[in-house]
Amino acid sequence: MVMNNIALGRYMPLDSVIHHLDPRAKIMVLLFLMIAVFIPAGAVGYVVIAAFIVVALFLSKLQISYALRAMKPMIWMMIFLLVINTLVIKTGTPWIQWGWFSVYSDAIYQTLYIVVRLMFMIILTTILTATTKPLDLTLGIEKLLKPFEKIGLPAHIIAMMISIALRFIPTLIEETQRIMNAQASRGVDFENGGLKEKIFSILSLIVPLFVSSFDRAEQLANAMEARGYDPNRQRTRYKVLKMKTKDIFGMAMSVVILGVCLGIWIL
Amino acid sequence: MSIEINHLEHTYNAGTPFSHQALKGIDLSIPEGKVTAIIGQTGSGKSTLVQHLNGLLIPSAGTLDICGFHIQPLLKIKDIKQLRKEVGLVFQFPEYQLFEETIEKDIAFGPKNFGIEEEKANELVRKILPMVGLDESYLQRSPFELSGGQKRRVAIAGILVLDPQVLVLDEPTAGLDPQGAKEMMTLFMDLNKKQGKTILLVSHDMEHVMRYCDHVIVLDHGKVLQENDVRTFFEHPEWMIEVGINPPAIIRLKMMLQEKGFKIPDSILDMPSLVECIKGQVNGHE
Repeated sequence: MVMNNIALGRYMPLDSVIHHLDPRAKIMVLLFLMIAVFIPAGAVGYVVIAAFIVVALFLSKLQISYALRAMKPMIWMMIFLLVINTLVIKTGTPWIQWGWFSVYSDAIYQTLYIVVRLMFMIILTTILTATTKPLDLTLGIEKLLKPFEKIGLPAHIIAMMISIALRFIPTLIEETQRIMNAQASRGVDFENGGLKEKIFSILSLIVPLFVSSFDRAEQLANAMEARGYDPNRQRTRYKVLKMKTKDIFGMAMSVVILGVCLGIWIL
Repeated sequence: MSIEINHLEHTYNAGTPFSHQALKGIDLSIPEGKVTAIIGQTGSGKSTLVQHLNGLLIPSAGTLDICGFHIQPLLKIKDIKQLRKEVGLVFQFPEYQLFEETIEKDIAFGPKNFGIEEEKANELVRKILPMVGLDESYLQRSPFELSGGQKRRVAIAGILVLDPQVLVLDEPTAGLDPQGAKEMMTLFMDLNKKQGKTILLVSHDMEHVMRYCDHVIVLDHGKVLQENDVRTFFEHPEWMIEVGINPPAIIRLKMMLQEKGFKIPDSILDMPSLVECIKGQVNGHE
């Protein structure tokens, strides 16, 4: 029912160049481009980033509709931002004026900027998570955090936490679906009804979900301890990551884009 | 009125790379007032099928007639809400659906969702509680402080309180000790015999199927492999072995004896007559 709408962050098992890139390279590209997105480099900067995104999306073989669906929840945020901005920002040239109510150009520009930035961020993240298996992603994060272990950052523990969290997302979705089915069988209507009924129906879902999650967490902790898990022990990996030419190329491209944006901003 | 299922198909995540056809054209007629077992291996489509019975899932193709409701593709849930009251679905490990502060409130949750007044609902709760073997002292206790078996009784009471015509039970005895399982099955059999409720039992436990059911449906890879009355089904153990179901102990014993040269007719399905049959042959041999 509801769960099928969640597009954000779901791995899509396709066979593309982007899928085969090193997860570390993909994370770095995302990081560089995120910084670039937040540099005020004007329209030119955004066009360059947009071009990169379009190429990446094309190469990843993902359907455009999939990427667009990931942005659906943003529509409300956009409307909210627009309303707040028109009420707060009173600079630039006034475009609309009805008595006390006025809309200034800066309000619209400001909103557009934020929306474009958010869109870029969401598409970039969607491409990363849709083309990278969760476990590869975690491995990538762990390897990238490795150097920070010298200053006391527990890279392995963080990676383990992320992989446990990711591992349990499908389980939780399944559990949610199960409890929803059970409560729906008792007459709960999760789709229709007023606000009060909605809140109450959500409650009948959240409470059992919490109860079973705590149960599960305890079982998992016991199972790990029973097998002698020690977070501080050195361990090896079955999968060893290797950077290839295409990975270096991808990262170089993103560095160039970051450079261009920085250049425009500073000069 | 029996439950009529015609060419029912169901595809999950249609139109995505995760698309999966769980039911591939099911044709069934489930008799009213009987106990019908639905068996099959994991992934055979049992759960998908039972979720159609109270409209949790809407078929991708085909139709379903149940309790005066006609279910067809693209139906809206709003139109069939009352069906959920007529067909009570008890999921596997139903104790996970408990959420209220007190047992009374939790059991009354269902009736209230179907628009029954609080007082009337509480009255129904008091009536249903002894049926699942709990007394009134439990009413004000939290469901979370009960033992696993008691929690399950409360959860099942939460469905029974709706007084459904058809009761669908998905592995109702999973994880219970033999005594608890027996009590649970006795409860369901009482509902069938005394109140004439139609019962559908999804089960892996062939002992239960043999002892309690009238009718057996075997699903395999989203299709009906066979549909028989329980006697005919258990007279042919080769059918069970074919779909990877472990036959009940008595059938296995029969097969072992036959292998050793005993002549045992297929129609013998209970211990006393089996003993009698062996006795006759042993005595005759001497």
